[in-house]
Amino acid sequence: MSSSRPSSFITAATGTTRRKDAADAASAARDRDRAALMARAQAGEREAYRRLLEEITPFIRALASRHLRDVSEVEDTVQDVLLTIHVIRHTYDPSRPFAPWLAAIANRRIVDRLRTQARSSLRQTPLNSKHETFLVTEPKLEYTGSDAAVLHTAIECLPAGQRQAIKLLKLEEMSLREAAAQSGMSIAALKVATHRAVSSLRKMLGGQRRSK
Amino acid sequence: MITTPDLIAALAADATPVKRLRPPLARAAAWLIFAVLLIAAIAVVHGLRPDLAERLRQPVFTLGIVASLVTGILAAVASFLVSLPDRSRLWLLLPAPSIAVWLSTIGYGCLTDWVSLGPDSVRVGVAVRCFVTLVATSLPLSLVLLSMLRHAAPLRPTLATLTGSLSVAAITATALSLFHNPDATIMILIWNLGTSVLIVALACTFGPRMFFRVSRRVVLRGSGEKRPI
Repeated sequence: MSSSRPSSFITAATGTTRRKDAADAASAARDRDRAALMARAQAGEREAYRRLLEEITPFIRALASRHLRDVSEVEDTVQDVLLTIHVIRHTYDPSRPFAPWLAAIANRRIVDRLRTQARSSLRQTPLNSKHETFLVTEPKLEYTGSDAAVLHTAIECLPAGQRQAIKLLKLEEMSLREAAAQSGMSIAALKVATHRAVSSLRKMLGGQRRSK
Repeated sequence: MITTPDLIAALAADATPVKRLRPPLARAAAWLIFAVLLIAAIAVVHGLRPDLAERLRQPVFTLGIVASLVTGILAAVASFLVSLPDRSRLWLLLPAPSIAVWLSTIGYGCLTDWVSLGPDSVRVGVAVRCFVTLVATSLPLSLVLLSMLRHAAPLRPTLATLTGSLSVAAITATALSLFHNPDATIMILIWNLGTSVLIVALACTFGPRMFFRVSRRVVLRGSGEKRPI
């Protein structure tokens, strides 16, 4: 077993080297293809240009994703790179490798985007609790079902005169005269009963809130 | 906002044939030939300094002139190389040794003599004459170089402009050494590098806006749409 180990190591190392060579060869072939496509694009072949741009877009996107988190920022950078390639496509020399030319343009646009981000973040201040107008922990809701139930229960606990006054004047929204006609109470008595009812309710509900 | 596949389609539709740039060395050589022709024309109009033959026998003067000329040539080559995306920025170091030699030979020169008040009138100093020759030499060189390096605008505008200005400054200094008695190098450097800083500042301020405008035009032309991206 000990004698077979070195030979297996050699085999594994040879396999790795072969795989690396194959990857290098594939990469070189891809670069040659792209250089040829760019040369044809420089000559005005639209289909070759479209194929080239579609082929390189995933590479540019991957490069941008390494530096930028926001998906929309990544896509904006990809488009900036494509536009730059278009504007200066005459600077590419087909006798030279395509990948370094592309990588230099992509890196330049990514650095520009990072600089713009840094500048805009310097001008912005993140919102925190100090900037809020109200520092309350309770939800700021105008109406909830549970509040209505509590109010109705509180009204039921009022003395009969006060309960009737508040139901007629506030819940059913009658005028003082109508309420007086229905209840048989005088207007002055209704007013006093309503005032006392509101005071009692305030006391009851305020006490409940404080106890919460 | 346009989607990336739509942008690719628009760019492909706009793919008109383009003229490839010639190799950077050939372009640098073309600009240097233009510089030689310009200096020769100024020499014909202005005339060479009378003591040129005598000064050329002085080692410091000759060393200064050769160093500024070499700086001009190497800075021009560096400028055309770094203006391309796939060339190393280490090319910027190409003119460094000759700059060191050139700067070691210069003095204040004519920078100190602008205007003097005589008993009868205001006398225009030698600095003004230096300045006029300086502008006549460096302005055409700068404009031609700027036009030849305009493709560097979206990528390395600062580096290309600074090396280009250094080249113009060095060539102008060489030319003025042939025309004027006092050494005008400091004035030339201030003028040319000041101009380059101005150009870089303008490029930084308006460059992104210009790029956006050009890009929008390309996209609109390619997609046939009228709405902005």
